[in-house]
Amino acid sequence: MIARLLIANRGEIALRIIRACREMGVESVAVYSDADRHAPHVGAADRSVHIGPAPAVDSYLSARRVIDAARATGADAIHPGYGFLSENAAFAAECEQAGIVFVGPPSGVIAQMGSKIAARRLMQNAGVPVVPGETPHDQSDSGIAALVSRVGFPALVKASAGGGGKGMRRVDEAAQCVEAIQSARREAESAFGDGTLYVERLIEKPRHVEVQIFADNHDHTVHLFERECSVQRRHQKVIEESPSCIVNSRLRSRMTDAAVQAARACGYRNAGTVEFLVDTSGGRGTERFYFLEMNTRLQVEHPVTEQVTGLDLVRAQLLVASGEPLPWLSPSISQRGHAIEARVYAEDPSRGFLPQAGRLLLYREPRLPGIRIDSGVEEGSDIPVQYDAMIAKVIATAATRDEAIARLTCALRDFPILGVHTNVPFLLRILEHPRFRAGEVDTGFLDSEGASLATAGAEMPDVVREAIATYESSSRESRAASPESPAPSPQSRQDPWDLVKSWRS
Amino acid sequence: MAIVKIDRDGKQHTVYVAGSAGDVWAFYDGHVYRSERPERPAEAGRYERGSERHGRYELNAPMPATVIKILVAPGQAVRHGDTLVVVEAMKMELPIRAPGDATVKAVNCREGELVQPDRALVELE
Repeated sequence: MIARLLIANRGEIALRIIRACREMGVESVAVYSDADRHAPHVGAADRSVHIGPAPAVDSYLSARRVIDAARATGADAIHPGYGFLSENAAFAAECEQAGIVFVGPPSGVIAQMGSKIAARRLMQNAGVPVVPGETPHDQSDSGIAALVSRVGFPALVKASAGGGGKGMRRVDEAAQCVEAIQSARREAESAFGDGTLYVERLIEKPRHVEVQIFADNHDHTVHLFERECSVQRRHQKVIEESPSCIVNSRLRSRMTDAAVQAARACGYRNAGTVEFLVDTSGGRGTERFYFLEMNTRLQVEHPVTEQVTGLDLVRAQLLVASGEPLPWLSPSISQRGHAIEARVYAEDPSRGFLPQAGRLLLYREPRLPGIRIDSGVEEGSDIPVQYDAMIAKVIATAATRDEAIARLTCALRDFPILGVHTNVPFLLRILEHPRFRAGEVDTGFLDSEGASLATAGAEMPDVVREAIATYESSSRESRAASPESPAPSPQSRQDPWDLVKSWRS
Repeated sequence: MAIVKIDRDGKQHTVYVAGSAGDVWAFYDGHVYRSERPERPAEAGRYERGSERHGRYELNAPMPATVIKILVAPGQAVRHGDTLVVVEAMKMELPIRAPGDATVKAVNCREGELVQPDRALVELE
């Protein structure tokens, strides 16, 4: 069994993994950049290592610094989380060479699945259907533009090394082509260090359905059913759920069979996700699905699967990485009830979803039955500009989809976050939308309806006006009462130890 | 911060309030409200993407960001909607576009530079 695990990540996923370590008696090692000195994941781990300045390329994305930190602390394994180095085959290979267990598939599998061409070829050979497209050999603007016209509009230009919607552009007409290519390439280079682009035909109004798979070193490959993630904004998932309301038992068995087939074909190990686009344009019973990509890591939305199966995916990852067999096999795995996850981001929907940086002046997670919250912040935390703006995942579980939606709505209404704008009002409007309620949402839903969902809220209610007036007058009084205090606003967090320091000096 | 209880119509309403004078945030029933009353009027609008003064536009980054591409030079004529500068923050690219037809008066940033929102990246007239 792994004795000491270094978690090469930050935020909620680092905390999620640290908690699994604690349950299993595995020592945890956190890493942090300058921007994260006081982040919750640092204090939660058994020990922590500073790995560099705030920019991710010099800290969380630096394979050398992460491996040095593992060596320095005697960690025998590294969990990459998601994002950062999680799908970096060279990093996995360096771990293997350094004799450190990489919690994930072998580096060769990451490399193969990370290359869209190799992944597609493999899937085609394994009998899994794929969407038409290719990575042009000629990676110049004109070479890529030529392929875009050949594949036809609308087309997608995306990072060959990508994921998470970074470095991805939709092209509707030839005039947009060059700007889209250049901007996708720049984003690909800065996010993945590799600007190679891939072009594919865009399937109109597809649904995004993915299958969680898991494989061990003892010839067991299982699936943990599907998740639907069709509510996406610019290819970034916003709401995820399981089961999918368009997947009936027949389609489910076809898709999960294909996913297990895909995992076996590439010699997969540990947790992975096979993403499919489902074309529902032919109506019920004639759905066609296409392999989109395989994510060779734990997904952001893994809690949805944990909630409907009752299984702990991170625990299983650590067992499998230690060489043990999977703790559960197919006949015992079932899908029960319905789970929905909403991602809470520090962004301002009324101003083009501009990412927000700042301090959480107030942050209170709701406590309700059937609600799980995976977060990486606490009241007073600073949201740094350098990283992804997700602050929490709220997961509602109930017997039915309608009940889960009602639960999630209640939880978000009761989740005060002040100091930075968040997408919570936007999430609530999605959950109330008739198309979402009816389960008639394709991946273009937010791009077509998003503008109306993102509009600024209504006038300030009288109750709020009165509360603000009460608050302001009480802060004026406290300011008058202590004239020597320079910043007497209620939000200034007076740390008693600061006073101690001033006494000593 | 404070949790303020307001009695109205026989019901008690809970409002979460935080912030300092002139910039107070409130949360009530899933909605966030912000009451901004800038105490220093000169700074009003500094977080807007651009501000107009005497027929001149100053375009700022909306938040601390890295300049990744500058697409215009002083003297150049630009049209409404043209991308002038591309900045990156929180792993997202944000284009800064011309608010109208104009001429570039000055470019006050370099590619690769980290800029704060109070800086005019491009001046137009």
